[in-house]
Amino acid sequence: MVAPTITQAPRPLTAAEADALSQRQVKKHDVAIMLLHWFNAVVWMLELATGLALLSSSFRVMPWWYIRIVQGFFQSRANMLQFHIALGITWIVVFLVYGTFGFRTYLKKEVLQREISLDGDDIQWLKTRVLRMLRRSAEPLPPQGIYNAGQKLFASMVYAMVPVIMITGLIMTLHLVGTAAVGWAAAIHFAAVGAVVSGLMIHVYMGAVFPEEKPAFFSMITGNVDELYAYSHHFKWWKEVCRARSPILDGPETHPPHAPQKEETSVEGEKHQ
Amino acid sequence: MARYAMVVDLKRCVGCQACTVACDKEWDVPLGCARTHVQPTGIVGTFPKLTSGFRVAQCNQCDHPSCVAACPTGATHQSSDGIVRIDRGLCIGCGYCVEACPYDARYINPAINQADKCDFCAARLERGLQPACVATCTAHAKYFGDLEDSNSEVFRMVYESGARRLQTAQVSIGPNVYYMGRKQDVDLVLAKFPPRAPRMAASSEFWARLLKPLVLAAVGATFLGQAVAFFYQLASGEQDHENQEKT
Repeated sequence: MVAPTITQAPRPLTAAEADALSQRQVKKHDVAIMLLHWFNAVVWMLELATGLALLSSSFRVMPWWYIRIVQGFFQSRANMLQFHIALGITWIVVFLVYGTFGFRTYLKKEVLQREISLDGDDIQWLKTRVLRMLRRSAEPLPPQGIYNAGQKLFASMVYAMVPVIMITGLIMTLHLVGTAAVGWAAAIHFAAVGAVVSGLMIHVYMGAVFPEEKPAFFSMITGNVDELYAYSHHFKWWKEVCRARSPILDGPETHPPHAPQKEETSVEGEKHQ
Repeated sequence: MARYAMVVDLKRCVGCQACTVACDKEWDVPLGCARTHVQPTGIVGTFPKLTSGFRVAQCNQCDHPSCVAACPTGATHQSSDGIVRIDRGLCIGCGYCVEACPYDARYINPAINQADKCDFCAARLERGLQPACVATCTAHAKYFGDLEDSNSEVFRMVYESGARRLQTAQVSIGPNVYYMGRKQDVDLVLAKFPPRAPRMAASSEFWARLLKPLVLAAVGATFLGQAVAFFYQLASGEQDHENQEKT
């Protein structure tokens, strides 16, 4: 869904303004989102480790030493498959429960509004990002919401692939539809996981290694980011936060940041609108 | 280590299907499926020179089994005694092995939704018994034993009496069910029931030949891109975001 929104870029900050903003924290994630994220991360790690070790003969992608090590933890390949299935079913159940009870409170806002919908700024961001990587442009990146366009593309792919992974997993486990369907499910399961893993590698790299995104990584632990990061990387979201905090004020011009507030401001933009 | 084999003596087989019934009973084979069954060639030739024969359709525990190569989870494997076995805890019932078998000796067992086939009655062997079909054969047309044991009947039949494998120049994967009898009788069985070329299920072929290279290429390209970014980061040094914004 692309809406033609073009937002003015944030103006450069003075050192005093930047200092003031860096002192303040703003809430980015709810506890429920953080818990789900880390549950998901652990499940993916274990499912990927066992799933890769299960592939054999012409479908094998990992070296034998890796397969022997993982298999060693489970004593046998059969135990490894049973673990893979049990964890996968747990994953599906948790998502179903979460989706059922948290749809209105978390998923509707988190997924549909924040993580998937692309606007004009996002499209421009993607173009500029690619041109900058190719050193064909020095233009500043357009301002972004709580997630940038790259994160949104990854999220969209994950949301498209996760149901495919779940359904194909169930078809194989419960032998639904028929033998041919199980054969196709196995192939599609592999392809969908492969697609997510390609994006996941960038996601993990950006979160754990890339220095500019360190605040984003820690926000998945504390729930908060400092306002300087929000201002410079997610300006549109920062403006929403400011509007929610003081509805009659807007932007750094009208909301000078050089009055440090030591206490955490637990205001979240969209929640209070 | 033993290397098990079976010999069918075409001079003795009368096609009574006692072996089929014994196997069904032993393994509780569902209706419409068979671990083993006898297929008649039909009467061939012109009177008075008529002939006929039987093929005993069952897993041949091949030396180079195409079903093992087709299995995506390693459920189908060959043990050191040559028997091709199915690990019940690992089989997902995808049917790739059923397509791969040139002798059509496998089926999906609807009771367990997994691949099934003859395994020379491995559970009976462990108890010191002969396979059910061999023990039941009314005409004593089936023999079972160890090809590594020079005193066994199957050793003599295979290496001294000329028992033959049902294989062709095109499909030669070393079946370990041998046929003994007149040359023209074995030739007739082979002509009527030649092994087909092993084939891959469409989904299996799509996976192994297209999806696997595509996924490996995508993951590899991402990894390479990240490695370049990482070394660039190492070379240019790190700045945390606060310092970046202030400069």
